[in-house]
Amino acid sequence: MQKGFKRNFEPIKILTDSQVEQIHAASLNVLEEVGFKYESKKCLKLLEEHGCRIDYETMVTKIPPGIVEWAINKTPSSFYVRARDEQKSVRFGGNTLYFFNSAGARYVDIDTGIVTMPTLEQNNLGVIVSDALDSVHAFPSYTPYFEIEGVPPVMSCPVSCAQRHRFSSKPSRGAQPTDSFIWETQIALACGAQLMGCVEGAAPLSLAEDPCNAAFYYLEAGFPIYIASGSIMGGSHPVTIAGASVSHNAELLAIIVLLQCIKPGCGIIANNFVSAMNMSTGNLNFGTAAIALHQMAYNQIWHSLYKIPINNTGSAFSNAKFIDYQLGAEKLPLATASALSGANLIVLHGGVTAELAYNPILAIIDDDIANTIGRIVEGFDVNDNTIDPDVIKNVGSTGTFLNSKQTRTMWKTEDYMPKIFDKTSYQEWINTGKKTVVDKAKERYEEIISTHKPLQITASQDSRIDRILKEATQYYKKKGLI
Amino acid sequence: MSDILAKLKEIVLNFDIDNAESVAKEAISQGVDPILAAGALTDAIREVGDKFGCGELFLPDLVCASEVLKKAFPIINEAIEAKGAKQTSLGKVVIGTVFGDIHSIGKGMVATLLYAAGFKVIDLGINVKGEDFLSAVKEQKPDILAMSALLTTTAMEQKRVIEGLEQEGLRDKVRIIVGGSPINQEFADSIGADGYGATAPEGVKICKRLLGIEK
Repeated sequence: MQKGFKRNFEPIKILTDSQVEQIHAASLNVLEEVGFKYESKKCLKLLEEHGCRIDYETMVTKIPPGIVEWAINKTPSSFYVRARDEQKSVRFGGNTLYFFNSAGARYVDIDTGIVTMPTLEQNNLGVIVSDALDSVHAFPSYTPYFEIEGVPPVMSCPVSCAQRHRFSSKPSRGAQPTDSFIWETQIALACGAQLMGCVEGAAPLSLAEDPCNAAFYYLEAGFPIYIASGSIMGGSHPVTIAGASVSHNAELLAIIVLLQCIKPGCGIIANNFVSAMNMSTGNLNFGTAAIALHQMAYNQIWHSLYKIPINNTGSAFSNAKFIDYQLGAEKLPLATASALSGANLIVLHGGVTAELAYNPILAIIDDDIANTIGRIVEGFDVNDNTIDPDVIKNVGSTGTFLNSKQTRTMWKTEDYMPKIFDKTSYQEWINTGKKTVVDKAKERYEEIISTHKPLQITASQDSRIDRILKEATQYYKKKGLI
Repeated sequence: MSDILAKLKEIVLNFDIDNAESVAKEAISQGVDPILAAGALTDAIREVGDKFGCGELFLPDLVCASEVLKKAFPIINEAIEAKGAKQTSLGKVVIGTVFGDIHSIGKGMVATLLYAAGFKVIDLGINVKGEDFLSAVKEQKPDILAMSALLTTTAMEQKRVIEGLEQEGLRDKVRIIVGGSPINQEFADSIGADGYGATAPEGVKICKRLLGIEK
């Protein structure tokens, strides 16, 4: 199993206990009085059997607080996702921090900022690079690219899932649109792996039919579920951080109620992907203070009160078009705030240009960032061995600690040494061609794609995936979607 | 005999500062040829230096291996002198950090790597006054004088030492290399140094080049 990073100190809290209680109570109140729309009769019937009040005409369900509390209590504080390579499996929850690959619709040229449709080869290389990066622990749906040249849009999720299984042995999240969960489940099972199922709400306060169907399908397959309710403050959520926290909480709790009604005790990781709105253009703003605060409050509530594993997506993207100072300034503070406030999973590697684009060169740079953040949350040991007064006595006021056994044996674990960041002296930098971090990441990219060999699936698994994709193609052709 | 030579190598490769003296004494008491004993230590520190140069080992490893040598070598050298034998070397280097500057790490790295490469190294330490550099050049007659400065304010001290050597008529008797973070090739040229290295391994290469050992 991949160990991830262990957080060895209490997560940062930005709310008082009474503020946490206030947001929780308001969320329960929204579900009881306003209700939540599940666009699936099958779901509505099930919820009715569990004591919810259903309006079948509007499909809005009023959920009593007791059922919400029951569902929270049924949800385990951690769960296991079996990868096709056992060593790459993960256990989400508790004090463990993992990193998710980010994604983008298209490929961005690092030097020009121009985005183009990625080829299947570019997609595969992106997966291989992330398979090689030790701080990428798992892949979300349609990663690294949402679109692939020559692949019909309705097939992009199944094909993306297939390629992730072919070129990486790390766990993946499935997708939910247009029955893609059928094919993705089959692909994972063919490889002997679990998926994280995907059930994403549509803010405000609703869940479309596709994710409702996906919930039944993925749970039937025995998979844990990733839930989300992506939104934008000032648009699909209130503009205040507190108000958006209540709306968002209510949406995720409503999904948890459904999942626990379908399969009590199922593992769930709840994602926070709430963005801010650019009030000049209506576009999504990434990397802002409001997003960081929303995520930190969310992490506190879900970690300390609900004890349900949590995922943060705020650091997955930036509005920057290049790998530049803005990109780092928008992604890093959010990722750090997420990690310090208790996130179990952070989406980070490779996303540029406001969800529009991805590049594996950035994923390589993000690997250093993820490892640095991971090292920070692990804290440091305070014991006789790490303090060791004799070391200080021996050096006194004239010597150096550089020649001590403590320095030689412990410096690597006390800090993380970045692989890509430039740490040369000025003169060395001049003498070695004035390489930037992007230049060094490009070199590492070439090294990875020429040397890294992902654990291969068997020939029969490969053939099975081909058959599943053909079956999916026929299915969508019959539906007139291809 | 080969066991004790292997043991001498091991104390360096294992950075075993605590047992350095006792293993050196054990070697001499077993009657091992002290030149061979010195060779074993030198081979080992060269291996450490090479691994440091290619990024396999790191500064604390280099420094700790050097500490092993500092403890073991006086014992071996005493036996060499008692025997009246002489060690060969690529050349003699006097090294130090200039007056006003107490930075020792870079200078120590260069000294260790020079030693590992086969040079005889006389380390004057840190905060070395100009007159002490001049005396060392007069007395030790080194092939190379290596000066380190880590501060922009002390870099000019390198120039003053070179001027002192010129005034004493010693400048053409010794090759001079300079290094340190504020130093670059342009500065080295401007003060009349013969060479400049941006890193410790580069410093060793420059020394070899200046003595015609490597191109």
